[in-house]
Amino acid sequence: MESAIQVASLRKSYGNFEAVRGIDFEVAPGEVFGLLGPNGAGKTTTVEILEGLRPRDSGEVKVLGCDPALEVRALKDRIGVCLQATNLPDKVKVHEALEWFASFYSRQADCARLLDRLQLGEKRNEYYSKLSGGQKQRVALALAMVNDPQLIFLDEPTTGLDPQVRHEIHGLIAELRGAKRTILLTTHYIEEAERLCDRVAIVDRGRIIAMGTPREIQARTLGQSRIEILTAQPMPGEIPAFQDAEKSSLDGEGKLLTVFSSRPARTLPDLVKWIDQHGLDLEDIHLKRPTLEDVFIELTGKRLRD
Amino acid sequence: MNGYISQIRMTLRLSMRDRAVIFFNYIFPLIFFFLFGQMFHGQEGGITEVVSIVLTIGTLGTGLMGAGIRAAMDREQNILRRFKVAPITAAPILVSSLAAGLVQYLPQVAIVLLLARVVYKMPALEHPASLFLFLSIGVLAFRAIGGIIASVVNSMQESQIVVQLLYMPMFMMAVIPFTVMPDWLQVVAQFIPSTHLNTGMQAILLEHGTFLDNLPAVGTLTLTAVVGTFLGIKLFRWEKEEKVRPAAKLWLLAVLTPFLVMGVWQAHAKDNIARQKILARDLSRKGTWLIHDARLFLGDGRVIERGSVLVKDGKIAQVFEGASPDAKALDAQPIEGAGKTLLPGLIDVHVHLGANGGISAAAYSKFSPSDLERELAAYLFSGVTAVKSVGDQLDSVLKLRAKTGSGEKLGAELFLVGPLFTTEGGHGTEIMRYMPDALRPAAEAQFLRLPKSADEARSQVLDLRNRKVDGIKAVLESGAGNLHFNRMDAQIVKSIGAAARDAGLPMVVHTGESRDIADALDAGASGIEHGSFYQEIPEALFARMKQQGVTYDPTLAVLDSVGALERGSIAPIEGSLVQQVAPPELLASIKTAMSSPEIQSRRALDAGIPYRLEIAEKNLLAAYRAGVTLVTGTDSGNPLTLHGPAVHREMQLWVKAGIPPAETLQAATYNAARLLGVDNRIGLIRAGYEANLLMVEGNPLQDISATERISLIMFKGENRIRSQLELFGKEK
Repeated sequence: MESAIQVASLRKSYGNFEAVRGIDFEVAPGEVFGLLGPNGAGKTTTVEILEGLRPRDSGEVKVLGCDPALEVRALKDRIGVCLQATNLPDKVKVHEALEWFASFYSRQADCARLLDRLQLGEKRNEYYSKLSGGQKQRVALALAMVNDPQLIFLDEPTTGLDPQVRHEIHGLIAELRGAKRTILLTTHYIEEAERLCDRVAIVDRGRIIAMGTPREIQARTLGQSRIEILTAQPMPGEIPAFQDAEKSSLDGEGKLLTVFSSRPARTLPDLVKWIDQHGLDLEDIHLKRPTLEDVFIELTGKRLRD
Repeated sequence: MNGYISQIRMTLRLSMRDRAVIFFNYIFPLIFFFLFGQMFHGQEGGITEVVSIVLTIGTLGTGLMGAGIRAAMDREQNILRRFKVAPITAAPILVSSLAAGLVQYLPQVAIVLLLARVVYKMPALEHPASLFLFLSIGVLAFRAIGGIIASVVNSMQESQIVVQLLYMPMFMMAVIPFTVMPDWLQVVAQFIPSTHLNTGMQAILLEHGTFLDNLPAVGTLTLTAVVGTFLGIKLFRWEKEEKVRPAAKLWLLAVLTPFLVMGVWQAHAKDNIARQKILARDLSRKGTWLIHDARLFLGDGRVIERGSVLVKDGKIAQVFEGASPDAKALDAQPIEGAGKTLLPGLIDVHVHLGANGGISAAAYSKFSPSDLERELAAYLFSGVTAVKSVGDQLDSVLKLRAKTGSGEKLGAELFLVGPLFTTEGGHGTEIMRYMPDALRPAAEAQFLRLPKSADEARSQVLDLRNRKVDGIKAVLESGAGNLHFNRMDAQIVKSIGAAARDAGLPMVVHTGESRDIADALDAGASGIEHGSFYQEIPEALFARMKQQGVTYDPTLAVLDSVGALERGSIAPIEGSLVQQVAPPELLASIKTAMSSPEIQSRRALDAGIPYRLEIAEKNLLAAYRAGVTLVTGTDSGNPLTLHGPAVHREMQLWVKAGIPPAETLQAATYNAARLLGVDNRIGLIRAGYEANLLMVEGNPLQDISATERISLIMFKGENRIRSQLELFGKEK
């Protein structure tokens, strides 16, 4: 089966600033693909080129078999887009908005069913201005699906929403994923990418610096877990090399020990034994597996959200 | 196409839910409608002006505010962004905004017109489709301008600033009456888009033509709509992040270019300014007035001791006898007339506008179109609403007649005869004596016709008819005392008379003595000018005049002036009305010239001419007794006979000569209108006649000099005439 999206050697500059500096990836039909990266990494530029909203400088791009630079109208007709921070006129009713936008497309989804699916059935006659933030975002999702698209672009779909609403939206996207829609999701939320995406590309300064399933990415990097031990009394200054531990450090008071380990299952018993030997009371123990955030920090030397 | 239809439908549906749109489209204009309705006396005739102002403001509002600010707001609120990713382009969005604006606006027009009709009794429109079509183009043009504004500003705030910058001047231009604007502002107005909207609309409302007669305005507005929409699509921006370069704001100028071109052209050609003046004049002639409880002198000799006159739409609508009706019930503005006498506007049938009444040669040399306009203004200021020029440069008086006749310039209605028919060396040719040979042929063509045969006379008369003169004047005089003229052959006069009759033109004949009158009567003259200043005219001739219905115009004023000049008196220019209307420098030059050597020698020359006022008075009295129809002419323009008030002096001289005041006043109104052939529309206070009225303090039937104590002049239904007249050049 042909890829839904093919991108090769994509480049785009604004004046002297190179926003996208050679990006390659493919998205298979039915796949949820995430572009993860900080603001200004080039995610939105890339997506807008794919949506046909922006011309590219060079590279090959095919979206649903179309070149977005040449067949923008045909492409727009077949894709669904949920942009970050869009609005509708205050006095448009929910069902009117759907029917209005549906009229632009050659293929139309059943608006009533779409509303029900997005739990907007009861709000169908409500003015847009009367909706809550989460309801508005659900309307935005509904608008991305009015043409029953094969490919949906979700650009930062939960940015600026409170955690509960974000959770709600995640549920809806997961549902779409279940319905085997192809989705390209951009986000700077790690958990969003981890939870929703089949595959993720980490983007930084216009380049993809890692790509694969979230687990693959975690594994491919150093993949250390972090063990934190809190004791009631200060620990002795001399910290031994625990089994399979890479490095360890003690905080100023000497009560919090952090140990990085590639195999925490082996390191941990060794550690606990050592504490017992020194007659220290173990107050708390915490094991943290590496996240995409850690991967990102490792790869770029900076945090995702500064 | 589907996109367009759903877009238009939704744009409309949304705007109908928008309180601001409802307010600015329907409530706001109605507030202005009733406000201006009160201010401009909508009830009493000002409604046409109100309608044009309100609809102009409405167009500006829906165009600039509606389209301009709205689109910038949609962009600022990230609404347009959502459309950007759908398969829809800028064109349907803009076009549907235009269409929706139009659909919202047209009911406003209907509501305003309906209210104007029901509440203010505006007459039904003859070309409603023209008005709607014209306004549709107007609203599209202004919405296109609004669209460009939205495209070239970076924020809503900026759009509000730009909209206000355009809206406020246009609002002011629409509200300020054109005639009140100083000249420079009238020129500036030609660059302002709303001016063309307003002018076109007024023209259609005032029945000055249809949509098709307003093609310059239609063309300019259409061009703006098309260019504006095209540029709007090109410059359309979906997101506020897409900043526009400062230079792109110049596109706003591009869409205003048609108006710039129009403005430059008009600043040069001025025909739109003229048109606006005419429309403004027409608007100010729309008032409804009730002049009540005055003594009415109807013009035909009848007097109503207590009566009222209703003026509407420039005409006398009704004449009431006895107690006055209620002005309110008639939707009229009342004008108190108690203790005053209302007369038809006076008429002077014998003036020469090309001379100014000065006495030195230098005073004659000045001759410009604006002087002629000033003179007609001076007549109107003096209560003289019609004059007949009987010997002036043909081209310049034809132009003057067009300019005042249309209402572009305010002045007495002008009637004119063509060049004088006389003979080589005859009276009239003496003014050519000092003309350089090179200029003489051109000047003669303007002033004189010297036919040598019956055929030539005939073709000259017919040629003048084609140039639309109002009458013919022939000269029969051989001079008196030391004054000698060649006299035109009586046969030629006859052929002039016959040709004039065929051409439907009244012929008046300048006469010096009895035989001239006899020949004029043989030639079929309609009027005798001067009669004789030195010879008593036999009763038989007056009997013939009465029998043939020929008028007699004794021009006593000019003769009185000749006497004053001989005596070195300036009495003819000392009257208060003369002092008010004559240019001060002219009055001063007369006073200084009176003792100059030039005048001394002229006096010596005049002493050899046997003119006598007593003889002229005797002739007038004889004509009156014989029942001849008398008319008032003054020969103004001659020394010491200044344009404007001379007919008052003429009437005073008549009463002194023994003519009853009522007959005198009738000569200056109804009789004069008959000689001019317009007694079916002026010269009487009668329903259907033009509202040319003069109200004076006291009773001129007892004291003829009361006519100089003017309290009101109404001209073609327009009140407050005097304050608007430009008597002394540009300053008012």
